[in-house]
Amino acid sequence: MDLREEAVGDITVLEVKGRIDSGTAPVLGEKLTALLGAPGRRLVLDLRQIDYISSAGFRILLLSAKRADEAGNRFVLCGISGKVRQLFDLGGFLDLFAISSSREEGIAAVQ
Amino acid sequence: MKKPLNIVYGVDERPPLGVTLVSGFQHVVLMSIRLLFPLLVAREAGLPPERILDVVAVSMLVMGAGAYLQSLSSRPVGSGYLCPPSFTSAYIAPSLAAARAGGLGLVLGMTVFGGLIETALSRVLRPLRPFFPPEIAGFVVLVVGVTLGALGTRNLLGIGVAERAGGPGPDLAIAVVSLVTMVALNVWGTGLARVCCALVGMAAGYAAAGVAGLLTAADFEAVAAAPFFHFPSLAHPMWRFDAALALPFGVAALAACLRAMGDVTTCQKMNDAEWTRPSLRSLSGGVLANGIGTTAAGLLGTIGVNTLTSSVGLAAATGVASRRIAHAIAGMFLGLAFLPKAAALFAIMPRPVLGATLLFSAAFVFINGLQIITSRMLDIRKTLVIGLSFMTGLSVDLHPAFFTALPPAAHPFVNSSLVLGTVTALLLNLVFRAGVRRTQTLTVEPGAVDSVGITDFMEAQGAAWGARRDVIDRASFNLAQSVETIVDGCGPGGPLEIQASFDEFSLDLRVSYEGAPLELPERRPTNEEIIASEEGQRKLAGFMLRRHADRVQSTHRAGRSTILFHFDH
Repeated sequence: MDLREEAVGDITVLEVKGRIDSGTAPVLGEKLTALLGAPGRRLVLDLRQIDYISSAGFRILLLSAKRADEAGNRFVLCGISGKVRQLFDLGGFLDLFAISSSREEGIAAVQ
Repeated sequence: MKKPLNIVYGVDERPPLGVTLVSGFQHVVLMSIRLLFPLLVAREAGLPPERILDVVAVSMLVMGAGAYLQSLSSRPVGSGYLCPPSFTSAYIAPSLAAARAGGLGLVLGMTVFGGLIETALSRVLRPLRPFFPPEIAGFVVLVVGVTLGALGTRNLLGIGVAERAGGPGPDLAIAVVSLVTMVALNVWGTGLARVCCALVGMAAGYAAAGVAGLLTAADFEAVAAAPFFHFPSLAHPMWRFDAALALPFGVAALAACLRAMGDVTTCQKMNDAEWTRPSLRSLSGGVLANGIGTTAAGLLGTIGVNTLTSSVGLAAATGVASRRIAHAIAGMFLGLAFLPKAAALFAIMPRPVLGATLLFSAAFVFINGLQIITSRMLDIRKTLVIGLSFMTGLSVDLHPAFFTALPPAAHPFVNSSLVLGTVTALLLNLVFRAGVRRTQTLTVEPGAVDSVGITDFMEAQGAAWGARRDVIDRASFNLAQSVETIVDGCGPGGPLEIQASFDEFSLDLRVSYEGAPLELPERRPTNEEIIASEEGQRKLAGFMLRRHADRVQSTHRAGRSTILFHFDH
């Protein structure tokens, strides 16, 4: 799994590439904790380039969304399509997260 | 079955009478173009003009009855779709050879033989299915599309006709008028305008041909000279059989069978937005109707028929795919068979109009073939089966002199791109099947899990088997997620043994290991449970695994756990 961070004004876009499984989810979890650690943060998590996400990945996303909510941060997912979207649907996550169809819409949503 | 957006009247729907009649008439015109084939054979057999009228009339009756038979949806005869037959180029070369060797009696006897072979093939499609996989059925449709397109452009450009004073310009202009009318009505037209785009395009072409002088008084005199009413005679020479012609007619029957499978598959796909794989019942019924049609053709006095791919293309183009159109076609041919003037009017169709019509329907046939091929994952073997067969078939049209110079015994196999391409595809498929195992195993050591390798295993197998992409995606997830969860939470005491088995109807994954069984709950754990502990995360994994497969089974015996994931294919 590769992570690429980009700042768009005071918004952070974190792009994930590859697989989010029990081996890589902790790394993503640490990064998300760091980015959402302080109040007032705004983060777009771009999942367009992931091939696979397991229950370990979903757990990290749930944890991060909960922490963001508690800290008053804004946290949006984007780029979920095809078989990855099917997994979100399968696990009942489509309605749980704030999801935008593209990075641009994600940035607009957290502004 | 979910009707696709581009289909106006699906197979089970009842269009208004006007739409039914106009659509039926368009098919009748398209099918009648192929009356040229029995005419050619009748002339080759030396039949006098009054007998040729009988052959044309019987040919119309066979097409009408065939359209009705194909539309039947009850077992065992009929595909259940609007998939009418007409005379086929597959039977034309052996029929001409038979006409030269033994006259009409031999043509008819061998046609009955070909029809019986098709009928027999229709009864053994299930065991033969591995040898006729969907990508080869799609390949046949694709090649027919290319052949139709080539025939269309040949007619459209006036290639092969004696040079006229005005050069090819007038032919091209007429074709452009006809084709542009069809395309414009099809793309931008709505309602009835779209439904009858081909017919209006043909009428525009006839009008342009009249203006350009391609339709002359002599043409209309031929129509005027034909009698108003003629009761066809079914008298014909006694049927004869010649063993030397068994092979060419056998090859033609096989090609006709594969083409019918391709056409029926296209009909199924065209009528169902959620189409996943060909329905065997409908395929068998379609091939049986084809076989009965050809047998009846031979018995009544004409040559072999085959489902007409351009008619299927027309249904796709106009969006009118109701089987009631087949009933209208049957009724119209029943009437036209007794009206020689109508047949004569079809016979004077200007070549550029014929070319435009063929080209228009070829576009839809070609794309349907491509879609059927790509509905399956293709590994290097299947890529070579399709790619090499396509090129081999095409070489017949590109380098005809080479194939004509081959010994006569080879001619039945090399007389058309469709036959040579299909035979090549079947042989290559047979050769490449030899190295593909239907069951594959993989061993995963708990200390060295390579999740990418696990996914690659499923991808490679899916491509080798020619499986559907969506099924392989689901199986890949279940395999990777189950291995991950077992290794993290079930404490496996040794390697995980994975077995993947495939046939055309199902994909089964079996994961077996020493250790505690994996929980596969029916209820999704709450978000709080998932967040609270890794136990909640494992329950989520089990819930997703259960939901993702069509069937799951978990067993635990003597310390060994086994999970079976079944996916319908």
